Amino acid sequence: MDVKYVNPFISGLINTFQMLNMASIKRTGLAKREKLKTDNEVNIIIGMVGDLKGNVVLSLPESTARNIASTMMGGMPVPELDMMPKSALCELTNMVTGNSISQLEQMGVAVNITPPMLINGKNMVTMISQVETLVIAFSCNEGPLEMNIATE
Amino acid sequence: MSIVQIAPFVAATVKVFKDMLETDIVKGQPEPEGDSFISRGFSVMVGLTGGWEGWFLLDMSQETACIFARAMTGEDYDTVENEEVLYAGAEIANIISGNAITTINNLQPGLNIRLAPPSVFAGQGMSMFNARLSSSSVLMESAAGPVKINVAAKEGK
Repeated sequence: MDVKYVNPFISGLINTFQMLNMASIKRTGLAKREKLKTDNEVNIIIGMVGDLKGNVVLSLPESTARNIASTMMGGMPVPELDMMPKSALCELTNMVTGNSISQLEQMGVAVNITPPMLINGKNMVTMISQVETLVIAFSCNEGPLEMNIATE
Repeated sequence: MSIVQIAPFVAATVKVFKDMLETDIVKGQPEPEGDSFISRGFSVMVGLTGGWEGWFLLDMSQETACIFARAMTGEDYDTVENEEVLYAGAEIANIISGNAITTINNLQPGLNIRLAPPSVFAGQGMSMFNARLSSSSVLMESAAGPVKINVAAKEGK
């Protein structure tokens, strides 16, 4: 994947989080994914087709997921990850990716995205798009999270 | 999205399992699935954009996935933590969905459905949640264990 496409994803996520009252968001790392296992229980995937072909996965521990959903719903407590918070997290991923692809479009890269799908479970092994995956780590008051980008 | 629209995916699954893995599978009836899909432990997902927007899921147990991987590569696997098992699963789902959307696109020119690359998730107690998509599933039986396919989609722009 060309490095010039990485920045739109980073700023897309930061812009969206700031807009949703999570201004404490900051990037903490950028690395190649080395192992298939993930400790994060909540993963939200969006597919991309067009000039960039691949998948973006927002991957986060359940505690971060609940805290983010709570902040998005105006501080309402979220003791359990049921339909409402899951729907909020899907919408968040949609906004992040939407923001990123509109920046890519300004660079002349046209991308279509699929609707988001949220996968949760334990002891997960994942492979995203059969290619090398880039992991961008972020942290905010709600907890740590990471964005996995795998494009062909 | 009507429940009959899963039919091309069912036909493609039967064909691919027969041609590629030499496995006969018995297909069941399509049934509507709610917005949550409970996984058997190993799930391959392929995104759809264009005329349909949504996801195709190929779901099975981790043991079944290892058996199919062995049928493809000739090597023994006992855990899905092995990369080859994930690649094998991704390849099967990629071929099935490619086959199915070719049929659909040929029948309905102008629909122009396109596929995102496959991703694989395996784990315990996994469930998939789709917001605002209607989804239907077909449960199938193979010698290696049950296989379930699910199509969650809406009409695209």
